[in-house]
Amino acid sequence: MSRVTITINGKAETRDVEDRTLLVQFIREHVGLTGTHVGCDTTQCGACTVHLDGRAVKSCTVLAVAADGSQVMTIEGLADGATLHPMQQAFHEHHGLQCGYCTPGMIMASVDMVRRHDGELDEHTVRHELEGNICRCTGYHNIVKAVLDAAGKHRAAKTAAPVEAAE
Amino acid sequence: MNSPLKTAAPGAIVHPLKQPKSASAELSPEMKLVQEALFKHVGKPIPRKEDGRLITGKGRFSDDFSLPGQTYAAIVRSPYPHARINGVDKTEALASEGVLLVLTGEDILADGIKDVPHNPVPSTNFDMKLRAKDGSHAFTGPHFLLPADKARHVGEAVAIVVAETAAQAADGAEKVMVDWEELPFVTDTAKAAAPGAPTIWDEVPDNVFIDTTFGDIEGTNRAFEAADHVVKGDFHIHRVTGVTMEPRASLGSYDPETKRYTLYAGSGGAVRQKNELSKVLGIEPKDLRVLSFDVGGNFGTRNRVYVEFGLVLWASRKIGRPVKFTATRSESFLTDYQGRDLVVKAELALNKDGKFLALRSDNLSNVGGRAVSLSPLSKGSGLITGSYDIPFAVLRARAVFSNTMCTQAYRSSGRPEVTFVIERMCELAADQLGFDKLELRRMNLVPPSSMPYTNAVGSVYDSGEYEKNMDRALEISEWNMFDARKAEAATRGKILGRGFANYVESSIGTPKERAEIEIKEDGNIEVIIGTQPSGQGHETSFAQVVADMIQVPVEKVWIVIGDTDIVSVGGGSHSGRSMRHAGTVMAMASADLLAEGRKRAAELFGSTPDQIEFEGAVFKLKNSNQTIDIFELGRRTRASHGKLRVIRDNEMHTPVFPNGAAVCEVEVDRDTGHVQIVRYTTIDDVGRCINPLIVHGQTHGGIAQGVGQAMWELCAIDPNSGQPLAGSLMDYGMPRSDTMPTFNCEIAEVFSPTNPLGIKAGGEGGTTPALATVVNAVVDALSEFGVKDIQMPVTPATVWRAMNNGRKAS
Repeated sequence: MSRVTITINGKAETRDVEDRTLLVQFIREHVGLTGTHVGCDTTQCGACTVHLDGRAVKSCTVLAVAADGSQVMTIEGLADGATLHPMQQAFHEHHGLQCGYCTPGMIMASVDMVRRHDGELDEHTVRHELEGNICRCTGYHNIVKAVLDAAGKHRAAKTAAPVEAAE
Repeated sequence: MNSPLKTAAPGAIVHPLKQPKSASAELSPEMKLVQEALFKHVGKPIPRKEDGRLITGKGRFSDDFSLPGQTYAAIVRSPYPHARINGVDKTEALASEGVLLVLTGEDILADGIKDVPHNPVPSTNFDMKLRAKDGSHAFTGPHFLLPADKARHVGEAVAIVVAETAAQAADGAEKVMVDWEELPFVTDTAKAAAPGAPTIWDEVPDNVFIDTTFGDIEGTNRAFEAADHVVKGDFHIHRVTGVTMEPRASLGSYDPETKRYTLYAGSGGAVRQKNELSKVLGIEPKDLRVLSFDVGGNFGTRNRVYVEFGLVLWASRKIGRPVKFTATRSESFLTDYQGRDLVVKAELALNKDGKFLALRSDNLSNVGGRAVSLSPLSKGSGLITGSYDIPFAVLRARAVFSNTMCTQAYRSSGRPEVTFVIERMCELAADQLGFDKLELRRMNLVPPSSMPYTNAVGSVYDSGEYEKNMDRALEISEWNMFDARKAEAATRGKILGRGFANYVESSIGTPKERAEIEIKEDGNIEVIIGTQPSGQGHETSFAQVVADMIQVPVEKVWIVIGDTDIVSVGGGSHSGRSMRHAGTVMAMASADLLAEGRKRAAELFGSTPDQIEFEGAVFKLKNSNQTIDIFELGRRTRASHGKLRVIRDNEMHTPVFPNGAAVCEVEVDRDTGHVQIVRYTTIDDVGRCINPLIVHGQTHGGIAQGVGQAMWELCAIDPNSGQPLAGSLMDYGMPRSDTMPTFNCEIAEVFSPTNPLGIKAGGEGGTTPALATVVNAVVDALSEFGVKDIQMPVTPATVWRAMNNGRKAS
């Protein structure tokens, strides 16, 4: 057993966990945030994607002890109160989700993608970079549309307020 | 041989569309209202109400539920495809840390736990009647939660281990010692039905437990004798699996005080789970509550009872604590109900002009170790002639046991298989006899003037404009500009190929549905309905129907699903039935509610109901300024009349036949055999479209699943060991974002005459023609290598071999 402290969505969470505990288990079972999902056991599907110190990772492939002292953001922490994150809004408007099981991972991976490319995304890049997130319902068509829309809004915001966007 | 269909028909069932119109067949006043009132919100692409919770991490999937004091289950599974259980030693497992309970097939028998009443033979009036060879009801193989005699496929559950933690349960499961006696096995579909194959069930020594012939044998024989050409084809529409992104999960709890069981388990319909599991446990249905909220994909795989659902309930009673089971992805690959696996031999007779004269088809369905559902075989049986007017046909429909996981309805159950066959036969015929592929199809299509059209095996196609679909698909896919695109692709070392397929499919489904609608005091409308969405957006599209009827904003309508303590009746979601059945019964219930409201308003105004008008959710006394809105009316009359609330039941048996066409373009890499889909176009006649945003989304997903089967997906089994080779997402090829194209989809709306809203069904039409369309495109690309046919999935290895052998790859 190890004592682990991880700051999840801005709140420090300290638990004594078995050393084999995965980050996703820490999030779901120990902290009770069930928005992050487990879809496979082999780092293939991406349903468990969260942000670890600002980068998208598959939380089924990180040990909780390895994330000790880190900052984690899950899907529950993405919206600003009642205001949805632009990526959440885009998935809603473009019907980028059906059953919703892969959605938290899709959104977290997509937010990170827009950040890394600073919104400079085209369809080919979006499809290539979402390859590690599997969706069975949508055929990806509307997911790609949603990500491109959110990326476009990111670019527009950058142009409107270049200083803020750079921060 | 007699045709069961033809012998069963006289005096039994006359198809409603074939009955003479009678006065009673006219629309009732309330249904006239339904048709008049509707379609303010209906038909609009309203974004979904359910999204809010799903995009913020507040969904409620099965494994998200936990109960105080819960324990965890792990399952001991058979490592052999076929093996007798000579005994199970629990000693070491029970001594393992944290282990609380171990149960086996012997305990099932000792406790009187019954087999799951799957009722695998489809039985609505318009399902094809499948029987054993001697005409009797078939032996389908009992499905106990744990078998006591033998395991019939790799992965079959043979014991459950319950422990304090999931890890301890998994450790304990490894310590259960089963005394196995390996038996000869057979997994291949054709081999399982061949003479001398190992016997799966002693009751059916040759494994073939369904053998039924449909159609006019003599007429078909005469047509073949008179034919100028006969084209033959052999096909295996291989086995795939659903890969719902949410692995199946269940949490069972028994309350010794109330003697009631509670099950949290996502499925295709909680009511079915309640009814069947209560029989398994030997309890009254009222003593089992099933909750199924957000469901992470279904596609047919979750419609039937899984053994673990019964096991957690039974185990919970044994230890007096809740028991949770969540499948790993590998368990899902081994033991989710699988799909397809149909072997077909077909013969098509044509005259010298290309007119189709008759079809013979021999369809053999591999159901696995026991029959859970014959829906795929049955559904396909009614559609073997596809979109074409083929006057005579004979179908021999057989089902065979094998040492594989059970098959079940999967994404457009049975229809992609037979569509693949007839559309491949069109291509083979055109190629062998020198006809244009499209013209051959066109001259044989069922024309609108023949609707309702009875096909050669007795299915009655309700409506559709098949040639128009075909024309439109060709137009928007820019079929005529293909040559220029092919030349451009060649400059990049790619071979462009194009494929076309028509399709018609059927949507039948459980005929009964109930809707309950209540005007709530808080200004909302609550609708209780027994379908179970798993991403289809019922909470939005159903709300659109009720919002139109009651004339309120769609935000005010709330759909309640998935708790059997609230939802008492419901057919679940399968076979494209939900919107048609639920939409109709909700519209009827809304009409009832308005009738009740009119009555109450009349009393309030001291008038009669015929003097009350209703508009914009407000009742108004004619020629006066007296008005009351429906919510206020509910509040005002609650004390005197009770809640403003109605319950409506409806039954609809008549199937509908969605139809359409699809076009696919592929680029094949000359060096590697890699296939990339570059264009994909569809036209889908879904009847009335309630929410185009949702219907398009359903179509996209349907296409991906059809394309997935054609291109990558395969439940491969090693023939020497009987071991499944696809045990994780690393060995099973899934459609991914970078391998799928952007789709070009259009909806055609030819309203169905079979139901008041004119609905057919959406979504599965994406899948139905996809297998044929993709394979036709790949064969077209490879035609320069002399390739005439190719076995799915068209992986690079298969395509490369075909290019380099110049003959049919296998």
